[in-house]
Amino acid sequence: MLTIGLFNGLVYGALLLITASGLALIYGLRRVVNFAHGALYMLGAYIGYSIALSTNFWGALLISPLIMGLVGVCLDKAIFSPLQDRDPLSVLLVTFGVLLIIDDLVHAVWGRGNVSVAIPGSLNMTVTLFGMPTPAYRIAVIALGAAVVLGLLGLFRYTRIGLLARAASTDPTTTAMQGVNTDRVSSLIVGLGTGLAGLAGVAASPLYSLSPSMGGDILVNSFVVVVIGGLGSLWGAFLAAILLGLINSYGIMYLPGIAAVLPFMLMVAILLWRPAGLAGNRV
Amino acid sequence: MKIKSRDIRDVLLQLAVALAIGLGIATLVSSDTVLSLLAQAVIYAVFALGVGILLRQNGLVSFGHAVFFGTAGYLVGWLLERDMMPGGLVIVVSILVIMVAAFVLGLIFARVPGIAFAMLTLAVGQMVYLFVARSRSFLGGADGLQIDWPSSLFGLPLAAFYEPASMFFISWTVLFCLVALLTLLFRSRFGSITEAVRDNEERARFIGIGRLLPRAMVYAISAGISAVGGVLSALYTGFVSPESLHWSVSGAALVMVILGGYKKLWGPVIGAIVYFLIKDYLGEVTAYWMAVLGALLILVVVFSPDGIAGALSQMAPQWRRQRRPLPTAIPRRRTP
Repeated sequence: MLTIGLFNGLVYGALLLITASGLALIYGLRRVVNFAHGALYMLGAYIGYSIALSTNFWGALLISPLIMGLVGVCLDKAIFSPLQDRDPLSVLLVTFGVLLIIDDLVHAVWGRGNVSVAIPGSLNMTVTLFGMPTPAYRIAVIALGAAVVLGLLGLFRYTRIGLLARAASTDPTTTAMQGVNTDRVSSLIVGLGTGLAGLAGVAASPLYSLSPSMGGDILVNSFVVVVIGGLGSLWGAFLAAILLGLINSYGIMYLPGIAAVLPFMLMVAILLWRPAGLAGNRV
Repeated sequence: MKIKSRDIRDVLLQLAVALAIGLGIATLVSSDTVLSLLAQAVIYAVFALGVGILLRQNGLVSFGHAVFFGTAGYLVGWLLERDMMPGGLVIVVSILVIMVAAFVLGLIFARVPGIAFAMLTLAVGQMVYLFVARSRSFLGGADGLQIDWPSSLFGLPLAAFYEPASMFFISWTVLFCLVALLTLLFRSRFGSITEAVRDNEERARFIGIGRLLPRAMVYAISAGISAVGGVLSALYTGFVSPESLHWSVSGAALVMVILGGYKKLWGPVIGAIVYFLIKDYLGEVTAYWMAVLGALLILVVVFSPDGIAGALSQMAPQWRRQRRPLPTAIPRRRTP
């Protein structure tokens, strides 16, 4: 019982982690609360579905995040960058408008019904783990989450673009004065954040069926993660996503009556304790 | 709370004009479908008015006001089922309960930095939605709740709340009475205090204004107004569903507020009417009218942040804006 809960919690936590870290990246560089993030996750999943139909799942997992990354760069060039000096509230409202447009775009192209993606053949089996049969695909999702954590940490710690992104996030003006094209750095990181939303969408598609409401669900949960973790903090988002995943899975097992409400209760409790979130104001 | 008698006279005059217009529309428009559309628009205008004053006085965007809108209907239905109070009292008690709950929530929310507020309201709103949608046993779950109204309310027969023409006029009257009350409230000291906290929290604290209490009070008032909208909606349809708590409903109200313009109290009213016109007329042409609204929302936010109301009052003749000269801050030197 205990290990099944842990395992399922980690699977959902990994998906949340990938989505929410994208949200945190976009907030970190552009100070934008991206209400369209859930819609982008959904768009990524549906694009992945179409690609999987014509090629296979692995193609979708590779190509759909790349397409979504391009979408993110376009979004940044068209909206976030020109509106950089506006107050954050108006940009938030603009992203809400983007959400409405993407939602209807998905309805128009793929319809309003549910579709599903098959688990890729090479992972469609069970592995015995700690004496328990566990689906291999779920293990792969957890591994993907871990890879994203390591990749992001490596990117920000050891590469030049990561260094510039950290600098631009801490103090964009001074960074720009040193001759860094902060606009280009921000565009790249927004693209990366959007690509991560797409990646999570594709990775989630064999587990949950694709439906027009999937964007709203993940958006609400990602917001809970980002608020608990602290706005714009990657570490906070990692930690909060795993925590939320575990609460979700143990809640369903032990407190089914109020499982749906538990994450929000946790959020309110944490905000009362630390209004700036777990990570505080550190990035 | 000192209110100038000239302000009261102005507001009463405007209220009388608004009610006369409403009566004119209710009698002159004969098509029931148009009246029904208008009644719906006015009910949502009350809801949007609540969302709008939160943005106007607190500078905060709420993605969770559908909770107050929907809960009002549920609370009324639940209390009527218990049969403890007369119908009119049930409505008043429900709205007061929601205001008190919102006040407590507001005390918590006001601690959170501004931009996280929108995310927080969205999350809490979705929590209430999930809770109600899954509580099959006592709130009807996903099927919703049929409301058992008494045969007369506030001296009016129940049929008055079903008929589009009379319901349109009732909602219109409620809406403009609320606008009048809010106008007076925001011209009083309370209005200045909340605006001070909104514009510069730190300076407001320096001159001895707390930050939590004014914010929580505005939040409670805005929730109460949205709850009035919810009660009107429950009266008109006789039914409340969990969908009325969903965050897309909060989003729709926010679209109305931004399209209409939040800086004027009547902005959300115009926004709601425009929203329903677009929904009705565009909805016949294309299923994707929400995308059109989304594009419109982006255009308004980027190019005309004061919305339709802002654009209209810019076009209004100059004398209207000249009537209230700013008080001079420097005391005039008396000539010897």
